[in-house]
Amino acid sequence: MRLLIAELLKLWTTPRTTLGLLLGMLAVVALGTVGMLAAATDEVRMSQTILDDLLSFAAVSATFALIVGVLVVTWEWRHGTMTETFLAAPRRERVVGAKALAAAAAGAVLAAAAVALTLAVAYVWISDEAAVDFGAVWATVGRLVLAGAIWGVLGVGIGALVRSQVAAIVLVFVWFFVLEPLLRVLIEGSDYLPGAALQALTEGGDDVLSSAGGALVATVYAIAAALLGTLATLQRDVA
Amino acid sequence: MIEVHALTKRYGRTVAVDDLSFRVEPARVTGFLGPNGAGKTTTLRTLLGLVRPTSGTATVLGMPYRELDEPTRRVGAVLEATSYHPGRSGRNHLRVAAAAGGLTRSRVDEVLELVQLSADAHRRLRGYSLGMRQRLHLATALLGDPEVLVLDEPANGLDPAGMRWLRDLLRRLADGGRTVLVSSHVLAEVEQIADEVVIIHRGRFVAQSSTAELAARATAATRVRSPQAARLQEALAGQQIGVRGTGDDALAVDAAPERVGELAAAHGVVLHELVAERATLEEAFLELTGGETTR
Ligand SMILES: Nc1ncnc2c1ncn2[C@@H]1O[C@H](COP(=O)(O)OP(=O)(O)OP(=O)(O)O)[C@@H](O)[C@H]1O
Ligand SMILES: [Mg+2]
Repeated sequence: MRLLIAELLKLWTTPRTTLGLLLGMLAVVALGTVGMLAAATDEVRMSQTILDDLLSFAAVSATFALIVGVLVVTWEWRHGTMTETFLAAPRRERVVGAKALAAAAAGAVLAAAAVALTLAVAYVWISDEAAVDFGAVWATVGRLVLAGAIWGVLGVGIGALVRSQVAAIVLVFVWFFVLEPLLRVLIEGSDYLPGAALQALTEGGDDVLSSAGGALVATVYAIAAALLGTLATLQRDVA
Repeated sequence: MIEVHALTKRYGRTVAVDDLSFRVEPARVTGFLGPNGAGKTTTLRTLLGLVRPTSGTATVLGMPYRELDEPTRRVGAVLEATSYHPGRSGRNHLRVAAAAGGLTRSRVDEVLELVQLSADAHRRLRGYSLGMRQRLHLATALLGDPEVLVLDEPANGLDPAGMRWLRDLLRRLADGGRTVLVSSHVLAEVEQIADEVVIIHRGRFVAQSSTAELAARATAATRVRSPQAARLQEALAGQQIGVRGTGDDALAVDAAPERVGELAAAHGVVLHELVAERATLEEAFLELTGGETTR
């Protein structure tokens, strides 16, 4: 518990990075939603479809959650603060666990912020609220927050495995924006790849995976990465 | 109490620590001495559970560091590579450490006061000088008011006033019954701070002795200038004392200045200069090990 507090405090006391990521994400979400609404020629009427389309921009929060997870581990290696962290908590699996929880919390907060901004934009832009099913909106919100939390954990796992900040972030981008999209075109059964699984979760299910199925597969990836990362961290010399 | 037993650490083909054993007792300051690359940092990091030994053991307070329940309250450590996030303030750096160690925030203010950093506590660490960072790390080590203190080259970056302050602090802690282990590659520094020294070289144990004893051996060399250098050289050689000419009228003598002065007087030799040569650490090793550093 105290390790979790320490991890959250680490995020809180590096406001430039933390706020920078939050504002960066909000900028992306704002540009996406406002751009989409502005591009519509007719007057936009509030409908479930429109709202779902808008909320899909908020799904970018998962990518930011992933980066936060990576940073939470790799900046400690980069700045050498892992030494002090392990001196205070020589049982390293607890440190990785605390980092996973902190990143999950941060990912959930990012997702919630992205959703809040999207809903605010929708509210300001569109006057007609009659057609909205709030139950469905809340379900989407819940799925996005869950996705942010899961991807935060995945980020910690990747960071713990790779350890180099630059390498980990390059790896994440190459995989999610180049390799996996390619594989998805080329191979069948690629619906079980991590990016696809997460998409199934955020978009409420596809042909193969339901949203619950997507959540499950994504969680398996995240936990597997965190476990491997823990093993790697236990072996490592901090020299 | 610290106990290192038959400790070996290899990095690939480099043997950083080689079958090293020694004990560090409480209630005194122990210096851990060795030239660059001797394996001091590796030994201390192994002791603190940061590096896995290839073989052998290192324990603090009777157990491996990793098994300590409240490490922050029992062992404080400052390691050579100063580690800090440049964007964090000094106070926040300590708050993080206090949170991880389960300590209160009031303790943070206390240690800031202790290392005289209160006025700079709000500043980002990016703007700290080397000496200020060294103090900050000391503050981190002292947070939990630990029984054992392990410091790797703490004098780095400290000004003379800082050194003096550190010396007094370590003295007080040791007098209060704590175990204090301080590494250094500078003999003069250790001499001032430590009651006892453990010397290692190329990863191996060389000697453990009281500082006074070490100092006595290390100063057993003299530089002397005399217009009758040749006569003095003869007299010294007659006593089986090692001596070399180092200039027209200068000699380097392998003996204490008292001995050289007495001999000169006995032979009626005029001296223009008589200086105790502070032997280098390397020479002190040779002296201690009879010229054989590889046991
Ligand atoms: N992580 C590492 N990987 C490979 N070799 C290492 C590593 N750490 C230390 N070494 C080697 O082990 C030996 C001992 O290094 P160590 O840092 O323990 O010495 P030291 O006594 O602390 O020296 P200094 O006075 O310079 O701090 C050196 O030869 C060094 O090159
Ligand atoms: Mg060193």
